[in-house]
Amino acid sequence: MMWISGGFVFRRGTSAYHKLDPRVKLLISLLMFVATLLVKAVYEMAVVIAFMVAVAAVATVLKRVLRTMAFTALFSAFIFGVNMLATRNLFSSTLYATRFVAIVVSTSLFFITTSPDELEQVMKTFRFPRDIVFAFVTAVRFIPVMMLDTIQIMDAQKSRGLELEKGNILRRVRNMIPILIPLVVNSVVRSGELAEAMESRAYGAVPRPTSLVAYRAGGRDVAVAAAAVLVFALTAYSFYYILPLHLP
Amino acid sequence: MIRFDDVTFVHQNGVRALDGVTLEVRAGETVAIVGENGAGKTTLVKHVTGLLKPASGRVLVDGADTKSSSTAQLSRKVGVAFQNPDHQLFSETVEEEMSFALKNFGFSPDLVANRVSWGLELFGLEEYRKSSPLVLSGGEKKRLTLACILAWDPQVVILDEPTVGQDSIQKEKLAGTIRMLRSTGKTVVVVSHDIEFLWPIQPRVVVMKGGKVVGDGPASEVMQDRELLESARVAQPQLVEFHHWLGRGPERPFVDPLEARRWVEGGMRP
Repeated sequence: MMWISGGFVFRRGTSAYHKLDPRVKLLISLLMFVATLLVKAVYEMAVVIAFMVAVAAVATVLKRVLRTMAFTALFSAFIFGVNMLATRNLFSSTLYATRFVAIVVSTSLFFITTSPDELEQVMKTFRFPRDIVFAFVTAVRFIPVMMLDTIQIMDAQKSRGLELEKGNILRRVRNMIPILIPLVVNSVVRSGELAEAMESRAYGAVPRPTSLVAYRAGGRDVAVAAAAVLVFALTAYSFYYILPLHLP
Repeated sequence: MIRFDDVTFVHQNGVRALDGVTLEVRAGETVAIVGENGAGKTTLVKHVTGLLKPASGRVLVDGADTKSSSTAQLSRKVGVAFQNPDHQLFSETVEEEMSFALKNFGFSPDLVANRVSWGLELFGLEEYRKSSPLVLSGGEKKRLTLACILAWDPQVVILDEPTVGQDSIQKEKLAGTIRMLRSTGKTVVVVSHDIEFLWPIQPRVVVMKGGKVVGDGPASEVMQDRELLESARVAQPQLVEFHHWLGRGPERPFVDPLEARRWVEGGMRP
């Protein structure tokens, strides 16, 4: 739960990165995401991850990103283990495991520095259908609420003698039923109430509603976007043509 | 029964929810904890069941330090009815819901059946025995959560905002249940904003503000301290205000509205 909180929930910040146009932040995250898929060797992945860490430092979210990386590493260990069993190749297994970490961090960097309002504007810019934008942004907005619900439900059930950490794996899975059922029921009820509240506040009354804030990319945003594309192109080029070291 | 020794608790976001709280609740006492939102009331009661552990100081429940006891162990002695019943109801039927904690505590099947029947009877839920708890009304859900707790007969019963969403009849029934618990020697802790509900029960009142205990004493004393209540943003009971407004009247404020009515009808003699 906590790694989701640290890794994907937006918190207001004052860094220069936070102030960038959200479309530029999306572009940077997308480029980093694509870069993780392009790399073919562990040392290339190390370069990409180092770049992500540098971006996190600029955005003053390094601590949160490192914590996310640490939690993600638990899943990576599983990926590594499965790959080792299947391929018996240390380097490809390490690559797949670190790729998972890098993918999580590239998306995390976007979500922790972009408010749901900015996210909405980005999606509108790309002309996504309004209902889909609303559903997606609402889902993101409700992550902290769902987490709070989960904690409260766990507290309530633990107070009735439920021991979540007790027993074997099957017992532990069964122990989650008293947590999951109230969580799902509450979410369904809340979504129904939210739909009614939105409709009673004229949601869908006009096909193209207006916006409170209209985003316009400034000179700094354009410069950062251009620099990001350039760095990505140079890195990709060097990986394929200059540094084909075929090192692990 | 419950002892807080200089307890401090700081949330992850850095908010100091409890700040050097020292408090003792004796066995058989009925205690109301009042204070504005964010005063630390719920955080305080979560320490009693070990859901939260103090950053410094210690909390003792029946002599046991909550730091070295699990929530499951402490829950056998302390039952908490949380504010939102929807956070705990999950079973297929009301009777299954009631038996959940009893089974967790290892009660025998006969005892489980007895306790379930007793609780359903006590709270007027017998007709819903085979219904889903999720289709009950708000008031019925609240009663069910209380029945679930009383079923395992804990020594301490904590009610977190028990009157939220309850109509006046349900509130009266709830007050009756608290009096019944008091008469059977249970320790009852009620966290509530509902001063009008608390006043007729005449509990010991603990006033909290900014994570600190700023007032503590019998309701008849604390509820008359207007300065204290205003500083903690707690309203004074209407019957106490009525007593002040009268100026010369009965020696003490009325506890029950019916008492006031009888006094008015009787010619308002001191």
